[in-house]
Amino acid sequence: MAEVLLAAEGLGKTYGTTVKTVALSDVSFELQAAEFAAVIGQSGSGKSTLLNLIGLLDTPTSGRIVINGHDTAAATRMRRAALRNDLIGFVFQFHYLLPEFSVLDNVLMPGRIAGVGVAKLKPRAEEVLTLLGLEGLESKGANDLSGGQKQRVAIARALMNRPALVLADEPTGNLDTENTKAVYELFRRINQELGTAFVIVTHDRAVAQQTDRILEVQDGRLLQDVRNAYLDPAPGDGHTRDETDGGGGEPGGVRAAAEPGGVRAAAAEAASPE
Amino acid sequence: MLSFSIATRFLRKSPMQSILIAAGIAIGIGVQVFLGSLITSLQTSLVDQTIGHSPQVIVQSATDGQAVTVTPALKQAFASQSQVTTAVPTRVFSAIYRKGKVSAPLQFTGGDLAQLDTIYDISGRMSAGTARLGSGDVLVGKDFAAKNGLKPGGTLPLVLPSGKAASLTIAGVFDFGSAAANSATAFVDGSYAAGVLGYGGDQYSAVDAQVSNVFDSKTVAAQLAADPAVKGLRVTEWQAQNNDLLSALKSQSSSSYMIQFFVLIAVALGIASTLAISAVQKTRQIGILKAMGMKDRQTGRIFLWQAVILGVSGAAVGVVLGLSLIAAFTFAGRNSAALFPIHPQVAFIVVSFVVGVLVAMLSSLIPSRRTTKLDPIEVIQGG
Repeated sequence: MAEVLLAAEGLGKTYGTTVKTVALSDVSFELQAAEFAAVIGQSGSGKSTLLNLIGLLDTPTSGRIVINGHDTAAATRMRRAALRNDLIGFVFQFHYLLPEFSVLDNVLMPGRIAGVGVAKLKPRAEEVLTLLGLEGLESKGANDLSGGQKQRVAIARALMNRPALVLADEPTGNLDTENTKAVYELFRRINQELGTAFVIVTHDRAVAQQTDRILEVQDGRLLQDVRNAYLDPAPGDGHTRDETDGGGGEPGGVRAAAEPGGVRAAAAEAASPE
Repeated sequence: MLSFSIATRFLRKSPMQSILIAAGIAIGIGVQVFLGSLITSLQTSLVDQTIGHSPQVIVQSATDGQAVTVTPALKQAFASQSQVTTAVPTRVFSAIYRKGKVSAPLQFTGGDLAQLDTIYDISGRMSAGTARLGSGDVLVGKDFAAKNGLKPGGTLPLVLPSGKAASLTIAGVFDFGSAAANSATAFVDGSYAAGVLGYGGDQYSAVDAQVSNVFDSKTVAAQLAADPAVKGLRVTEWQAQNNDLLSALKSQSSSSYMIQFFVLIAVALGIASTLAISAVQKTRQIGILKAMGMKDRQTGRIFLWQAVILGVSGAAVGVVLGLSLIAAFTFAGRNSAALFPIHPQVAFIVVSFVVGVLVAMLSSLIPSRRTTKLDPIEVIQGG
């Protein structure tokens, strides 16, 4: 039985006080450790809102998030910051590197925020830089890199503190096809080798279909939550095969079904128990 | 120290902006150091010129012209005042210089030269002859001597208050740097003065004293007046006699404080606005740092550190600038007798430096608060 890394219970987010805009309502699901999932939906569907909520960057107007056993409903800003630093790595569409710092310094940053000394952090930073094929670029300025390199540095930075969960919001939105492919392969490899769970927000269904689980959001609601399955070609106009109950369900049961992802899913399964 | 290291990176990333803020602080503190030292030195010089070489506290008889008997108890009353640096019993009388058709009034102070020197520094301010107050000797002022063609070794014919004629030997000529003192005062030995006044050995006109801090003369006078040995005598001090000078000094001080205050306000506004711009420029970075888990207070401290770094470096340069201005001022006026020396005071410079750093830190409060309140989601969503 895989351990539950994150549980979202009845998440809702409403913006505005006089004119209320419901961005998300009553979204519940569980994410297992080392899961490799995608959140899809059209722009404005609420997928980024969902990611920001589970990333503790934003607070829900209703419902709660339990991450790694920590109920964050009543957590202070400081506590949420500490949990983000400890448990979550972020990769955004825009790399968001700090232009004032070198590649190495950018990668070291989450560790330094955690209060660890640079000397202690260096081996780990070098390890992740090597993992991402960024050796030799350590002393380069963040702005002296190509788009693909920048995004890889951002990924390295997200991995610095050995997060249990990496949240990626359109991580390849600014990259060409080749770099996009490379980034997803990298995500998959990290997921398998390090047992890091991934939630990737994308509007690209082809990308989503390479993950083990797809959460589809439409109009602020969780439309479907499927594992290792094909999605219906057009979103929202019918049912998908292997639709689960939205609460996480029983993994594995649908794993065998279809798709070339079956092999990868098995690998992920093997990596997950740690 | 992560906040500090981020602060230095932010500053180094926009060197021109950093240099401009530091230069603003430097100019402010430079002006502060220069102006403050100038005004303080000007006042010291003024006070010194006016009352530095004259009695600051005087004890005399309540009735004009009456003698004061200097008893051991009276001496003790002065000795017990720690602020009193010197107390000299003097005998004062007026006489008229008369030679042919020329006559001029002179005020004589009689006393022991070594003691008189502690107040008047006669020996240190001689322009001709020797500083000597033996029996029959007299020391006259430079202007008086020049006007009447008198030289050391010559005689000084006088008509004493009693109407008797007398003649003294001019031992030397002093220059006190003041026309009034140089043309109308003279010094004789104490026993000669006693003879003229008809005083006994322990009878004097007054006891003249100086105090270590001239502005404490009021307190010292009040304490002396309360002493039983001084009872029945009149105690006067210079401040009561020099209201004009005092109010001039006070208005000079307050105008100097005003200028310094507004210079600091201008510096503070400059730093605050530049740091506020910097905070806006760095919003994105702050948002990212917060997304990565940096705590609100830690990010707020980034701008505080920036202010400290800018404040310390700016104020340090400012102190050097201020001292250079003082040196330039002194150098430019090295040949001018009218110029007074500027003595930069360490305590004042330290205070100026600290004030500079504090003003910078205070100016960082607005950007700091702004940064503390920033929600990472504002940046991530705006991405």
